[in-house]
Amino acid sequence: MISKAFAVFNKDFHSELRTRYAINSLAMFVIVAISVIMFAVGQEKISEGLTGGLFWVVIFFTAMSGLARTFVSEEERGTSLTLQLVASPSAVFSGKLLFNIILVFCMNTVIALLYAALFESFVIKNYSLFFFSFVLGNIGLAISSTIIAAIISKAGAKGTLYPVLSFPILLPLILTSVQLTLFSLDGTSIEDAKFELAIVVSYDVIMLTVSYMLFDFIWKD
Amino acid sequence: MKNKYIFGGFIIVIFLSLMVYLFTQSNIQYQDDFSQVMNTTKTVKATGSWVKEKSYDLNRKNKTFTFFMVDDNGNEMKVIYNGTIPNNFESAASVVVTGKYVNGYFHAKDILTKCPSKYEDEQVKTSTM
Repeated sequence: MISKAFAVFNKDFHSELRTRYAINSLAMFVIVAISVIMFAVGQEKISEGLTGGLFWVVIFFTAMSGLARTFVSEEERGTSLTLQLVASPSAVFSGKLLFNIILVFCMNTVIALLYAALFESFVIKNYSLFFFSFVLGNIGLAISSTIIAAIISKAGAKGTLYPVLSFPILLPLILTSVQLTLFSLDGTSIEDAKFELAIVVSYDVIMLTVSYMLFDFIWKD
Repeated sequence: MKNKYIFGGFIIVIFLSLMVYLFTQSNIQYQDDFSQVMNTTKTVKATGSWVKEKSYDLNRKNKTFTFFMVDDNGNEMKVIYNGTIPNNFESAASVVVTGKYVNGYFHAKDILTKCPSKYEDEQVKTSTM
């Protein structure tokens, strides 16, 4: 199963390198969103709390613009039936998830670096807390966006359905991640943020279990 | 095959209840003991009353308002608030300040005042014609 999952990942990775569809749409969205925020802010000095929130606004909408691609591309090219024949549902899901995790990590690292470079008030005081919340938040975002992409790929209006369906599912993750980002900008210790970190960990575990349970039904439909 | 769903459902129930419990824990908590307020670096809602005998200071240049608060056990602390005196502050029965304690001062982001009710018995009597 693991070798098949890796083969699915490899296929996606190579087709992404060839078309560069997801990478381009993510990169364009990041640049546009951050420059709009830069223009809106202007010379104004914005507070730390606001930058932490805006950071996750950009991450959420960037994820919405590019991550649906993994399953939608299979439907558009008509390759999903072949994929059903060659690999088991969990192998397909693992491969797609791995691809999305890597994509989310690349995207969020770029966003974080741009924020640190462009916004004066985005100064991280507790790096280890920021790192933990960043990693856990990214994994949660990747899992949720992968399973929702699988759900919407069969539907008609994919572009609108994706953010609408994702919002309630991602809400607990985003609220807690905004809080954790504020903590790391404030310089709160990890000890004080342990409840928030535990919320994100349990969110990740819940979403991963639900995804593997539901994917069989979504995929074989 | 069926075991997978039972096991999965089990994991989901455990972590969902854990998450709900953690959500209730992670919100900003009320604290009416100032000795504990001074020992944490967390943001708390400290409840106490204003010490009217001690001086308070309204700095017009830095736009800060400084005053002393006391809790039920008699612990005092100095509070700094970026802004002006809130309405009804003089007549407040108790004060709730949201913020955290850093370097000997409580830095308040928000001040809530609890005022004595207008509709108490005494005032009804005096207002009758």
